Amino acid sequence: MSDLVKEKLREIITRHISPSEEAWLLQKAVAPPLELMTAFVSCPRFLPKRIVAPEEADEWTLSTEVPGFSITGWSLVRLARVWLLTQLDPSDKEVYVHHIETLFDTAEMNELVALYSALPLLSYPEQWLFRATDAVRSNMGFVFDAIALHNPYPEKYFSELAWNQLVLKTIFNDKPVYLIEGLENRANEKLALTLSDFAHERWAAGRSVPPGVWKLTSKFMNTTLLGDMQYLFESGRPEDRQAAALVCHEATFPSANYLLAKYSDLEKSVKSGQLTWADLEH
Amino acid sequence: MCINHNETTTNPSHFEESEQAAAPATHQDIAWNDYRELIKGMRFFDPHIHMVSRTTDDYQAMHQAGIVALIEPAFWVGQPRTGLSSFKDYYSSLVGWERFRSSQFGIKHYCTMGLNSREANNEQLAEQVMEILPLYIYKEGVVGIGEIGFDDQTAAEEKYYRLQLELAKEARLPVQIHTPHRDKKKGTERSMAIAIEHGIDPSWVIVDHNNEETVKSVLDKGFWAAFTIYPFTKMGNERMVKVVEQYGPERIMINSAADWGISDPLAIPKTAALMKMRGISDEAIKLVTYTNAIEAFGKSGQIDVADFESGFSIDQSEKFYGNSILRGGQQPSPVKESILIR
Repeated sequence: MSDLVKEKLREIITRHISPSEEAWLLQKAVAPPLELMTAFVSCPRFLPKRIVAPEEADEWTLSTEVPGFSITGWSLVRLARVWLLTQLDPSDKEVYVHHIETLFDTAEMNELVALYSALPLLSYPEQWLFRATDAVRSNMGFVFDAIALHNPYPEKYFSELAWNQLVLKTIFNDKPVYLIEGLENRANEKLALTLSDFAHERWAAGRSVPPGVWKLTSKFMNTTLLGDMQYLFESGRPEDRQAAALVCHEATFPSANYLLAKYSDLEKSVKSGQLTWADLEH
Repeated sequence: MCINHNETTTNPSHFEESEQAAAPATHQDIAWNDYRELIKGMRFFDPHIHMVSRTTDDYQAMHQAGIVALIEPAFWVGQPRTGLSSFKDYYSSLVGWERFRSSQFGIKHYCTMGLNSREANNEQLAEQVMEILPLYIYKEGVVGIGEIGFDDQTAAEEKYYRLQLELAKEARLPVQIHTPHRDKKKGTERSMAIAIEHGIDPSWVIVDHNNEETVKSVLDKGFWAAFTIYPFTKMGNERMVKVVEQYGPERIMINSAADWGISDPLAIPKTAALMKMRGISDEAIKLVTYTNAIEAFGKSGQIDVADFESGFSIDQSEKFYGNSILRGGQQPSPVKESILIR
């Protein structure tokens, strides 16, 4: 991670705190590791409880340096904690990993959120794979969000199996799947077919599937998925029908285009660009 | 066959009549509804109770009896811990699951963090615990370093007591001292002398488990004197009433220290009722069962009475780490008067 990111984060923090609070934070950032780690824990005692308001230029700089990284909606304490972690000396790998692991082991919920949010900025990224996949497995709502949504770490480091789990669990938990970083880049056939199975289970139970998830299937269209599209077109839910239209439009599988042609209104709005996936993101 | 007389008397069979007198009664025969009437409308703060070893029924009874907030000090769980992970899990439960469980019954939960005196004697483990303790004492809702002090009064206990006093000073947190069961008077004096030696203001120190023998010295030196109403081993509440009559309510607080032993999580409301019956003023009762504890531990900056003074709404369908207190199919708040348990 570049120094530019650290500098930018510090700049944003400074804008939100008083000179004495800043002095406390700066002093802790250069303290010996245990003192810095203690400061990580004690941030809520020394810093104001507020939500940060980054400027557009800030977010642009951050996402240029670390694609997909964003601090929108973060609390100041979360941001300060993440910045403190970037100040830990990574030169001795064993020591560095031990410190981060200790913080994970002793963390309460808000600290875990900060730790998972910091993963894209930590050194030795492959070291945190177990923690990251574990966060997906657990049922901690806020912690799950910290790893799954707006976090570029999974896209970059998760195996296909772990990635597919993350996407499925996001859908299963009724969280907005489109907030997962790299969703389209990491679309894969296995995931598309699993989604189909998942949808069948839901339909059997009289439930529905969020329409946006079908976006992940268009590249892998086959006869099974085409059957699902047929089902969606025939369902009474306008959003399901729109999703099917978008998938069939994007798919290169010839029969998909024939299927879409049967629904001329939908075909027209998708071809004219009037209907997009953004309409289904909520 | 020759029977060893000692053996039969110290360990009689269930069918043998004991020659000893029946165990002394620990509770006066006052019906629950009678004393409930006496304390109607009162609010209580239990500054020392180990909920990790209590049941959900206790939380319900405590809430009904007017307990609105409590402090759970880190303590000895009855069996030695064999590794650092057990400490980490225990400390995490004090700020995590247990706090959540308490909130589900309308009781605000705080805790104090520390390495207890008994386990300070396992120096190898104690060293490791001291390494991670700073990561716990600054967490939200931690209102002190406790319960620390002496048990056997060994050199190792003294070493870790002193180290934790320094930690409290650094973190600007109150100290909750556990005084030993054996040789209590000496242990109490020693604990106070060491705290003063470390430059800690006595008004930041709560000396716990006092009795008639220790109270005067503790109050004279400017410390808070806490009393544990605990059957058999610590204070009885009739004795407690006399202490309040003699010393007044200033800087005195009572607690239950209820844990895995034979103890009573309603010790405070029951003692309040008894004080009321014996003519102690409502104002004095409020000080020793509520206000003093809040003042002493409130120095941590972690207690906001607005969080519990007027009660808070409970939603038993809320979840902690995706886990509810409700087990499969249970409905929130069952009706206790009903004979049917579904």
